[in-house]
Amino acid sequence: MINQKNVQALYNLPTNVEFCKKCTISNQRPRISFDENGICSACNFAEYKKKIDWSIREKELADLCDKHRKNDGSYDVVVPCSGGKDGSFVAHMLKNKYKMNPLTVTWAPHIYTDIGRKNLDNFIRIGGFDNILGSVNGSVHQKMSQLAFLHMGDNFQSFIYGQTNFPIKVAVQHNISLIMYGENGEVEYGGDMKNAQQPTRDIKDHDGHYFSGKPPEFWVEHGVSKSDLYPYMPPSYEKIIKNKTEIHFMSYYHFWDPQENYYYSVKHTGFESNPERTEGTFSKYAGLDDKTDGQHYYLSYIKFGIGRATSDVSHEIRDGKITRDEGVLLVKKYDGEFPKLYFKETLSYLNISEELYWQVIDSWRSPHLWSKIDGVWKLNTTVWDIK
Amino acid sequence: MRNIRLISRLDIKAPNLVKGIQFEGLRKLGDPNEFALKYYLQGVDEIFYTDIVASLYERNSLLDIIKQTTDNVFVPITVGGGLRSVEDVLAALRAGADKVSINTAAIKNPSIITEISKKFGSQCMVLSIQAKWQGDHWEAYYDNGREHSYLDVVEWAKKGAELGAGEIILTSVDKEGTFKGFDHDLIRAVTDAVSIPVIASGGMGKLEDINTAVNYGNADAVAMASVLHYNHHDINSIREHCLNEKIPVRKVSSIGMP
Amino acid sequence: MSNVVVIDYGMSNLRSVQKGLEKVGAKVTLSSNESVIAKADHLILPGVGAFESGMNGLKDAGLVGVINDYVKTGNHLLGICLGMQMLLDFSEENGSYQGLGLIPGCVKKIPESNKEQVDRKIPHIGWASIKQPKIIDWNGSCLNKIQSNDFFYFVHSYMAVTESQKYMLAHCEDDGLLLAAAIKKDNVTGLQFHPEKSGEAGLKVLKKFISL
Repeated sequence: MINQKNVQALYNLPTNVEFCKKCTISNQRPRISFDENGICSACNFAEYKKKIDWSIREKELADLCDKHRKNDGSYDVVVPCSGGKDGSFVAHMLKNKYKMNPLTVTWAPHIYTDIGRKNLDNFIRIGGFDNILGSVNGSVHQKMSQLAFLHMGDNFQSFIYGQTNFPIKVAVQHNISLIMYGENGEVEYGGDMKNAQQPTRDIKDHDGHYFSGKPPEFWVEHGVSKSDLYPYMPPSYEKIIKNKTEIHFMSYYHFWDPQENYYYSVKHTGFESNPERTEGTFSKYAGLDDKTDGQHYYLSYIKFGIGRATSDVSHEIRDGKITRDEGVLLVKKYDGEFPKLYFKETLSYLNISEELYWQVIDSWRSPHLWSKIDGVWKLNTTVWDIK
Repeated sequence: MRNIRLISRLDIKAPNLVKGIQFEGLRKLGDPNEFALKYYLQGVDEIFYTDIVASLYERNSLLDIIKQTTDNVFVPITVGGGLRSVEDVLAALRAGADKVSINTAAIKNPSIITEISKKFGSQCMVLSIQAKWQGDHWEAYYDNGREHSYLDVVEWAKKGAELGAGEIILTSVDKEGTFKGFDHDLIRAVTDAVSIPVIASGGMGKLEDINTAVNYGNADAVAMASVLHYNHHDINSIREHCLNEKIPVRKVSSIGMP
Repeated sequence: MSNVVVIDYGMSNLRSVQKGLEKVGAKVTLSSNESVIAKADHLILPGVGAFESGMNGLKDAGLVGVINDYVKTGNHLLGICLGMQMLLDFSEENGSYQGLGLIPGCVKKIPESNKEQVDRKIPHIGWASIKQPKIIDWNGSCLNKIQSNDFFYFVHSYMAVTESQKYMLAHCEDDGLLLAAAIKKDNVTGLQFHPEKSGEAGLKVLKKFISL
């Protein structure tokens, strides 16, 4: 029997659901804030972005590259990249415009989709990049994903650990100080504003955001040994400091526009969008390389009432691509769509029964968000019902 | 051979002209009427408008745009997007459209093709097919290449013609917006199957792409979007290319046309 | 400035005809009113769709007699597309239906294959240039200024066949077949193509018509 989780307490969620007046995100997204006009911090940041003098930021990037460029044939920047549109954009810009020598680093998905693998291959071959693909012991990765699903309600946690720490490991191993990510998600998508005015992430912050209160000891307790965990762990803090490691975000230096990254990567690195509409949303050009990631977004929908469509719509509204009216209709149409395409495969990967799966899902439904009406679960408040 | 028609395709999210790649990542490009007028003055043969959020909003929002277009553009205008009934079609024609293009409504209720062609004439009823290659056949999609119909494109085209469609506009979801050339095999498969005019759409990049669409694909017309909107080629040079290559097109006098 | 009336009898796209005429300087009224029509300097009978529906539309609006009376005044009438076809005696479209009988002849389906047995696509849709038959003089007609490199937009499945060649004002060639592009008897002219949809060439024709 799976225990009912106190989602509100765990994530510090307000009881009354409110939606941003500009985009469609709700106050249930952890770490977001709303101002006195009912506008979310991410939308406010999007307005602020337009007022930034980007030529100054670009100069800062040029200086940063001048400082790190090695000119001796060895790598001078690590670019974490899955072969998707954003990382491809970053890698290509750094190499071609800023004359850096990037080592691109990919943390392998749990189960590759064909289009995901194709895009990574195209990135390497058409874009022209050296790439290290970090693949964890498959059975460990499965176990980690299962434990994350059962205990944290997110099968993707294990992936997220590695995605954060592996590039740092590679950077230290190769004596590369500079790591350049794409966007600072916490800033662009409405989380922690602490980092909005600076280009870097404080390395110590990793633990707070990405370990979700489950220290490595938890895993050992559940049959995952220290050496199993090794690939997920960052190098020692001393080594990170000795390497003078800096984590930067391209979104600080360059006006971040994912749609423009799409066009750029189609042109320069052979990127292709998903041949199928991504389940749970209307788009085809984001998050398309892992068959199991649909569950991650579905769980977000269960926990917070925020599905993939809501997130996609919100940033498209902020980027000026669609209107809020259109966004609301897209959310109504696609949000919370069950990811059935890879459901059976994911269940098998997680090695759990469908019965257990649904018990876990339901254990994350907070009554402040969900009610069962005539045997069907419904969200108490939806963005399309609010006038 | 009849003269091949050079058509400009404008996807609209009122009030903007938009364009994507494989129907994804739609960028706003500007005022549709500015583009339509530009193409008219360059000598385009027809204008095709599609309201691409019509299905989402459950209405076609192009009527005001078409009214404005007819003030200054004197070539045939086709309107599509969210047209579901004879009343919708009548409203579009009264606003200035000469033809209507139907996709979703026809897939969900094929008898609407007959209804419209009976009431307004088959020449008014253009069946719009969005085709995606599935490894061994093409499948018809709707809602901007997002939703499966599970219909085989060639069979659907045949059925549409039998039901009374006067023309087919055939867009390759795989190729559109890519500048990589039309899906010539797709065009040929459909032109071989039907005896109504077929307009090839999706993928034009080089001038030579028209040669293959017409000479191999047997297309009766080509619809162009990205290649025109992004100014890779203009209608004048495209027409000149056709004339040089002995592809029959109408001649347009240059007097009064900038 | 010519006071042009475009007959409104419920058969679709009047807006383009109106806009085209206004572009060439006419004052345009859309109407099915008898007295408005009678006062027109020039009269336009547009039409898209099936012959039977078109004639029923005219009959229901009580316009058959009105049009005939107008023609007797000697002022010019222009039928466009279906409007042209209705000027003839009868049509074979979906049966046999009587037309206005203003120009002797009938309406037949465009043959589906040419002499070499190659299939012709129906409807005939597209741009074609028009030719002046040897026995015909374009002076005094709306085609007066037209040249061989003027192209016009055709969209039809049926064609006009006049009783005498003297009424065939212009033809166009479609895969070996000579189709009636324009017909004329005295002050009654019919155009198979759409002058309001034929770019600058079409506007030229409209401009000439309103000056007749």
